[in-house]
This record gives sequence, C-alpha cells and structure tokens, in this order.
Amino acid sequence: MIDLLLVIAAAIFGIGVYGALSQQSFVMIMMGLELMLNSAVLVTVVFWWGTTGGNPSGQLLVIVILAVMAIEAAIGFALVTAVYRSRKADIAEKLKKLRN
Amino acid sequence: MTPGPLSYFLIAAFGLGAVVAGWLVFRTDSMLRAAYWLMVSFVGVGAMLIVLDAQFLGLILILMMSGEMTIMAIFMIMFMMNPAGLNPMTMVHQHRTSILAGVGSFLVLAWVGVVAEFPNRPAPVEDPTVALGEELLGRSMLIFESAGVALLAVMIGAIALAAKQGRFGDAFAGSVEPELDVEVGDRT
Amino acid sequence: MTSLGILLQVAVSLVAGAYLFVVADRLMGGSTQGVRSALVYPVKRLSFLMVQPVTTTERPDFEAWILAPSLLLGLAAVGAVPIPVGGPSAGGDIPAGLVLFGAAMLIVLVAVFIFGWAPNSVFPMIGGYRSAAMVLSVGIPFSLVVLTTAIPAESLSVGVIVEAQSSLWYVLEQPLGLPIYLITAAAIAFWGPFDLPEGADIVGGVAAEASGPRLAMWRFGRAALLVTMSLMGQAVFLGGYLGPVLPGWLWTLVKTVILLILLALTGRTVARMRVQRFVWFGWVVLLPLALVDVFLSGWIAL
Repeated sequence: MIDLLLVIAAAIFGIGVYGALSQQSFVMIMMGLELMLNSAVLVTVVFWWGTTGGNPSGQLLVIVILAVMAIEAAIGFALVTAVYRSRKADIAEKLKKLRN
Repeated sequence: MTPGPLSYFLIAAFGLGAVVAGWLVFRTDSMLRAAYWLMVSFVGVGAMLIVLDAQFLGLILILMMSGEMTIMAIFMIMFMMNPAGLNPMTMVHQHRTSILAGVGSFLVLAWVGVVAEFPNRPAPVEDPTVALGEELLGRSMLIFESAGVALLAVMIGAIALAAKQGRFGDAFAGSVEPELDVEVGDRT
Repeated sequence: MTSLGILLQVAVSLVAGAYLFVVADRLMGGSTQGVRSALVYPVKRLSFLMVQPVTTTERPDFEAWILAPSLLLGLAAVGAVPIPVGGPSAGGDIPAGLVLFGAAMLIVLVAVFIFGWAPNSVFPMIGGYRSAAMVLSVGIPFSLVVLTTAIPAESLSVGVIVEAQSSLWYVLEQPLGLPIYLITAAAIAFWGPFDLPEGADIVGGVAAEASGPRLAMWRFGRAALLVTMSLMGQAVFLGGYLGPVLPGWLWTLVKTVILLILLALTGRTVARMRVQRFVWFGWVVLLPLALVDVFLSGWIAL
C-alpha cells in the first residue's frame, strides 16, 4: 500500500517539476509549485499513517505545509502583480534582465 | 488499520484521478480549465487522505484549495494574453529539459518509494482529529502560532508588494516593457 | 444507516425542500393568483423550462457549461449528507461532518464561477467575478460561525452537535451565530439581497445566457443549496430533530421550512446591496462579529 501511494506521490511531483520548469507564464509556474506541495502533503500523510504509529506530529507537519502553500500563493501573486506593474511582464522571458 | 481491498481500490482510483488531472493542468489552453484541473488534483489527494483516516486534513485541503484555485483562475484571466485558449498557442520553454527533469524525478522518487524498507507501524483506529487538536493546542502550540504569525507577516508583505500606491509613488511610474530577447534571437 | 438510505434521504429532502422553497418564494414574491397557483407553479415552471429550446453563444466552453449546474446540485447534496434529519441515527455519521459541509459550500463558488465563465459572454463573466469577490469576503465568517457550534459540543459530527443542544439551543447560547450564518449562507447561495452574481443590474448575470433544461438544473441547484443551508442551520442552531411531542423528522421539517420562509422573505423584501459595500460589510462587520462569536462561545464552554 505504501509503495503504491509513494509512486502516486512521485508521479504528481514529477508533473509538478515538469510544469514549474517548462511553463512561461508566472501563474502556470506557480501551479507547478502547488502540485509539488500537493505531493508533499500526500507523502507526509502516508508516512504518518503507515510508519509512525499515529504520532500527531505528522498531522501537525501537514498543517505547516498547508500554511506554506498559502504563503507561497500569497507572496507569488503579490510578486506577479508587482512585476506586472513595473515591467508589464507576464511571462518569465520578460524578466531576463532584472536590472534596468 | 490494515487496508482492505476497498481502500486499495479507492486509493488507486483517486490516485489515478489526481495524477491525470495534474497532467491535464499543463495540457489545456484554457486557463480556467488549468486552474480547476489543479483543483481536481487536490480534491483527489484530499480524498486519498480521507481514505488514509486523516479526514480532517483531507477536508481542510479541499476547503482551502477551492478558494485558492478560484483566485488563481482570476489572476490568470487578468495577466494572460489569451486566457480562454481560443487561439491555441504553446507557452513553454526548455521543453525537453523539463520533460527529462520531470520524468527523472518521478523515476528516482518512485524507485526510492518501492525499494526502501519502511517500518510498519500503522496509525491506531481512534479519531485522529482529536489527537491533532491536542497536539496543535498542546505540545506544539508554538509551531502552530508561528504559522499564524508567518501568515500575518505574509499578508502585510503581500499588500505592501502589490499596493498600487507604493512608498516611492505610483507603482506604474516609469514602467517599461522589456523586449523579448529570445524571439529576436530566434528570428535572426 | 446504509449508504443507499442516506442517498434516498438526501434526494427526498432536497427535492421536497426545493419545491417548498419555490412555493414560498412565489407567495412572498407578491403573486396575486392565490395559494393554489403557487402550489403548481414549480411544476409549471419546470415543464416550461424542460421544453424550452437551448440557446448557445459563440464558442462557449461547452463541457464546463454543462458541468456547472450539475456541480451546484451535487455540492448541495454532499453538504446535506452529514445532517441528521429524523433522529439520532438518521444521517451520515461522519466524524468531521461539519468540515465536509463547509468544504462543499465553499466549492459552490467554483460552480458559480465556471457557470459565469463558460458562455463566453460579458454579463455572466461579471457575475462570476462578483461571486468570487463576495464568497471570498464572507467565506471566513461563514466557516467560523459554523465551526463555533462544535466548541461546546466538543465534536465536529453534526449528530453530536444536535444532541448537545438538548438543554439549550445554540441560537440562544450563541446569539450571533444564526444571523451571521443566514447572511453568509444567502451570499454563498447568491440569494436574497445578495443575489449580485445573478442581479437584474447585469441582466441576469451568470444565468443571462442559460436557457432550457440547463437553466432548470441551475435553478433547482440553487434551491437545493438553500435547502441544504437551512437544514444545516436548523441542525446546528435550532436543535435539529429535538423537540417535544412531535416525531423528530417533523421537527426537522418545521424548522427547515421556517428558515426557508425567512430566506424567501428577506430575498423578496430587502433591497439589493452593492457589491463594493457588501465586500466592505463582509470584512469589516461580519468577520469581527464572527470572531467575537468564537471568543464568547469558547468562554462559555470553558
């Protein structure tokens, strides 16, 4: 059971890596990051469920990952907005030179 | 709890759904569909968490993601030149490297998952939500509160970053659109 | 209770509740044709919509347009699953039932947004944006007041919460809860003074381009959503099936119908609120009040 779950989590993580590296649009890159965090949530719960004997710290870690997801989204959207305001940039190629 | 055949089936079904939905995120031209395929992927993982006895966490994950994905869809509609994907276009770069990296990380992680030996200490059947509550407001209260403070800091920071009227005046002032070096280079 | 029994119970309560709600709304709406006309009105309206031809727009997101009404109805059904209707064992005994309800109700936003996006048309899209602004503003107070009822009952299971009200209903113990719940529920179900996503000022908003069976499904979905909201409201604030003399299911029916009539009445009598003011109202008034509600009930519970 744990093997199957870990393979599923690995597949989701792989798709996330592909998305984060291949997409040009900032928001699509963030979707790749979210998928990787999604897989992290799954793996954490799998280990909590299968190997720790129900240690509640595992669940606590999931709560922390959820907070990290929220933080990532908030800061990500704020940066996208700020960059769009200053550069009219919506894809990563337009930020090749971060200096003027 | 030892998993029965039903949980195997449910895990496999939800897992397949989560993976396929995650894949479709990057295969669709419509931004709304991309955002909501990602939500479907999260709902699949949330359902898997429920099968794994972590009811509360699974439902919280689904609850959080429904709002976040709508915000994501709105941002995509705001920022992208072709949000509905009515004129099909590819917006990818370093495609081959990314595929290699994705497949490579999948293979390595899956290999670790299949080969490594993990201790078999399943969680007890009793309600894990109670244990989580005791942990959050007992031993690990500091961690929980730190997460709350971090979120507050992020809210302030995000507002400061995204505010239209910044410390140095209007955020649009002196805004210059950089040229796309890549395409120029490709054309010559 | 078996899964089939729960399914049947949810289906019966949603269909019957939606019928009662449409009749009540017809009567509140100032229909001058009497009660008998109002009683057949839902059937007439449904059969009219079922034979109406389906119009379409230029290049709609076809699958999403079909999906959204079904999603709305499905979410109403999922939200109704953990609610006990007739007695202690009637209803899905789900340990985290309250969170399931909250999650289902917040995904309603997704259904409305998709329904506004799909026709590829201006006014529905504005309705979708309005819905996003409104639900994100009231989502937190909504979840807070619902979850606050779990504090004195010390459980997230709706059945346990109902049982914990045998001495005092939470509408009295948490006086702030029910009003905030009804306001936010009406906003999430885009009903009443908060029907901005479907407002007449944007010629029908998200439903502007819908017609025929699709519109019938959408209307049914919204009525079912209001029924689910009322069912949960009576369960966690009005003591659910608890009550003297009458059997449990009848008490549930009476309390649900009272809440439905209240919603229909406010929906028909209170003027529509502008979306800017509503967002302000959600963050500045409802959210602090919901927090006060949490603190007060935590204080009482201690």
